[in-house]
Amino acid sequence: MGLDRRAFIKFIVGGAAGTLFTPIPWKLADDSSIWSQNWSWIPRLKSGAVTADATYSKLCSAGCAVKVKKVGGLAFGVKGNADNALSQGGVCPLCANGAQMLRSPARVAGPLKKDGSAFKAISWDEAEALLADKLKGLKGQSGKVAAISGDGSGTANEVLSGFLAGLGSSAYYYMPSDQTTMAKAWNGIMGGSGQIGYDLEGADLVLCIGADIMDAFGPTVRNQKAIAAKRPIEGDKTVTLLYAGPVRTRTAAVADTWVPVSPDGGAAFALGLANLLIKSGKGASLGGFGEFAELAAKFGPDAVEKAAGVKTEALMTVAKALLMAKNPVVVVGSGSGQGGGVALAAAGVALNALLGSLTVLPEFPKAVSHAPDRSGLLAKDVVAWLADVDAGKAPTPEVLFVYEANPAYALPQAAAMAKTLDKAGLLVSFSTYMDETAALADLILPAPHPFERLDDAQSPYGLGKATYLLATAVAAPEKDCKSTPDFILGLAGKLGVDLGFGAFEDVLKAKVQAIGADWDALAAGGAFVSDRKGSAQADLGASALAKAAAAPKAQGTLLAALDHLNIGTGALATPPHALLTVRDTELYGKDLFVQMCAATAKSLGVSEGAKVKLTAGGSEITARVALNEGVMTGVVAAPLGLGRTAWDPFTKGKGDNVSKILAVSAEPGTGYSVWAGSAVSVAKM
Amino acid sequence: MHAKEFKIRWGMVIDVDKCTGCGACMVACQVENNIAPVTPEVDAWAGVAYDASNKLRTLNWLTVYEINNKKAFPEYEVAYMPRPCMQCASPACVPVCPVVATDKNEEGGIVSQIYPRCIGCRYCMAACPYHARYFNWFDPTWPAGMAKALSPSTSTRPRGVVEKCNFCHTRFQQAKDKARQEGGDPNSLADGAYNTACAEVCPSGAILFGDLNNPAHKVHALAHSKHSFRLLERLGLGPQVYYYSKREWVHRLGDNYLPNEKKA
Repeated sequence: MGLDRRAFIKFIVGGAAGTLFTPIPWKLADDSSIWSQNWSWIPRLKSGAVTADATYSKLCSAGCAVKVKKVGGLAFGVKGNADNALSQGGVCPLCANGAQMLRSPARVAGPLKKDGSAFKAISWDEAEALLADKLKGLKGQSGKVAAISGDGSGTANEVLSGFLAGLGSSAYYYMPSDQTTMAKAWNGIMGGSGQIGYDLEGADLVLCIGADIMDAFGPTVRNQKAIAAKRPIEGDKTVTLLYAGPVRTRTAAVADTWVPVSPDGGAAFALGLANLLIKSGKGASLGGFGEFAELAAKFGPDAVEKAAGVKTEALMTVAKALLMAKNPVVVVGSGSGQGGGVALAAAGVALNALLGSLTVLPEFPKAVSHAPDRSGLLAKDVVAWLADVDAGKAPTPEVLFVYEANPAYALPQAAAMAKTLDKAGLLVSFSTYMDETAALADLILPAPHPFERLDDAQSPYGLGKATYLLATAVAAPEKDCKSTPDFILGLAGKLGVDLGFGAFEDVLKAKVQAIGADWDALAAGGAFVSDRKGSAQADLGASALAKAAAAPKAQGTLLAALDHLNIGTGALATPPHALLTVRDTELYGKDLFVQMCAATAKSLGVSEGAKVKLTAGGSEITARVALNEGVMTGVVAAPLGLGRTAWDPFTKGKGDNVSKILAVSAEPGTGYSVWAGSAVSVAKM
Repeated sequence: MHAKEFKIRWGMVIDVDKCTGCGACMVACQVENNIAPVTPEVDAWAGVAYDASNKLRTLNWLTVYEINNKKAFPEYEVAYMPRPCMQCASPACVPVCPVVATDKNEEGGIVSQIYPRCIGCRYCMAACPYHARYFNWFDPTWPAGMAKALSPSTSTRPRGVVEKCNFCHTRFQQAKDKARQEGGDPNSLADGAYNTACAEVCPSGAILFGDLNNPAHKVHALAHSKHSFRLLERLGLGPQVYYYSKREWVHRLGDNYLPNEKKA
């Protein structure tokens, strides 16, 4: 039987039809579908039990109470801890990156020692021996060992400052912040004790003068929660939010009223309000009230308009609102969270005293008895000290410890400050990440990520009640890090400095016991909140305030530096996942953008997108212009946190560092270093 | 097109007057849904560096837009508008998909996106008036070690497929599972039993999530408020995301009104 054409076609067609009745084509289609979905070249999800452990994340300046979500024991995300009174389930844009920053490409893998222009890895024992050897010869020499801390709330500061005291040095400084400015005002000039607090929860009117409470001032999540709770979406608002400052910040964006106030006019505006309150019969029981009233009387509406650019009607409206409110609270600070004058801080205290809203939180008892008092240390001026070191008026430290801070990047006139830091005999950075200060350091002794370590926070600045929080190690260590206070305790033991403890856990347990809190409850993510009030006895410090307030007004274009939490902090560069939250009007590609209104741009002869050079404080930065009518006329607003020179490819070389052009001056009357609202020269390139 | 009716309609009410534009929701969304940060890369030929700082390759299911009233200082006002997928009642993206990779047929009214089925034609992206859909031009890459523990909620996607917000759908499944385990009704979840990552993390409480059809859920009443509106409402797609603002200019920016046209 031959195969003719007809038979062949029948065979092919029959075969094809028959095949459809077999599972073969369907199986092949299914397989190809499965194999085309088997994307082996992209990361796989890890399987395992999903758990969540509570801790306190200190990635942002004030910290957030979070729960670290884990899969198969590995941290992958965070969520808010709704049971914690501080954050109530909210998380800030930095702490939301907490798990990812455990594995940031910028993490320091282990102890490093500078070797020429590079670093070489050393062991922790070698690092300890090296430091012990260096410090042995410096014991008892004043100012030869110094430290700069960026952690405003941790008990680790007691260990470090106590260690320095044991070596005979008092050169312990905090990075500048609204907290340090207020400490200088309240604990220094005014002679008060404890810490100034702000009872936002009990307020029916919150007036923010400069302080961007939603973005840069204090515990922003708690601030947002406190305001939001009194402003339900539907129903009556029980709090009025007023913002006074040169830029329509994120606080101003949600405020009921924005009162534009020039960057250097906050103190005059506050004193103008105080004058109107006193005229309306308000008084304060603080010392020196008569002298203060005389000073305030000099700030009539005309004087305020001249100094702060605030029209009489606007000033009167705010004063009236303060007088009508039952529980008004005034929060003062600077839009950048640093560099504001002591005058503004003191005027803020005076305003709250006049309104009967002055809140003072008591200090928690110390665990390390040798340690100097926290309030005294906070009131010190690190910028003035470094200027003195540079000028040879203060001894150059042989060993300079930097803890949770990045002064080489974040201090005003950053380039000059970095040069001074570099003069230290041995610059020791305890940074978790390869930041600018770590890159400059002679020795990097990496601290664990906040999720990998035991830590605490006592009354983060801005709260209304004395609060204590504990952070526990909830994630396995990713790198060869060592808890800084534990390392210092070991070093202290070698050098014969008795701090009374051998391990940081014991320090914290003593602390928790001293304040009467429950360790287990704190470790489970709870907050210890005390209703105890501190003493509100102090002097209004009118004589110093008068000199400061009489300072000549800066001329020309003024700079309003802004701190945006999503861009990062001085100590933490923009996390990889947060980079896309940075707006095109702040950063585009490698270009930093500064904002100004059309009238300012016209007077400067620049237009949208123009490349400009900004010069101040002996340094310059380049940027492009973004027109923004939310910036006061005569003011240039610029975001801090960009222009990194270290860190990782996600942030390095993006934009320019605005800290470089924050021009420092000594405030008359207080001598304190200030830079908020300094003049800047803008030139078209 | 006739909209499919659902007993449950998951939706959002976003209070624009409360949102501070902090970006925490955008970060939480990326973490929950395994959206990789754009790895910096330089194209020497084009002379362009790609990373999230120029937004040329960014991919984010939730974007916070900044809007303003277009007035000069000092009358200038600003507001922030987080924009997830609108999960429209009559989604423009669904009928154009040639392979049914996106559909709206599950109780709850969430518009699905099935990555393995997607052929990457991007018709859905062209159809979506909200720009809520994103195309993976490249495979996702995390910085070394960061992908060690990804969120178990969302599978990773390769290059060549479209993706978008799905209201953290895994959380919906988990909430239903939990209800079943506890003897409850998975089709009648309590307010808050199912919540999206963005709403959960929001520090100012600006994002509220729930069943728009359920009077026991806060969003039900809020969606019917005179202060609520939807983006491009006149297109008739019926978004399940509502915005809430007491400011007239915010409402007007929500749709394409002519300068002198009265808002309906």
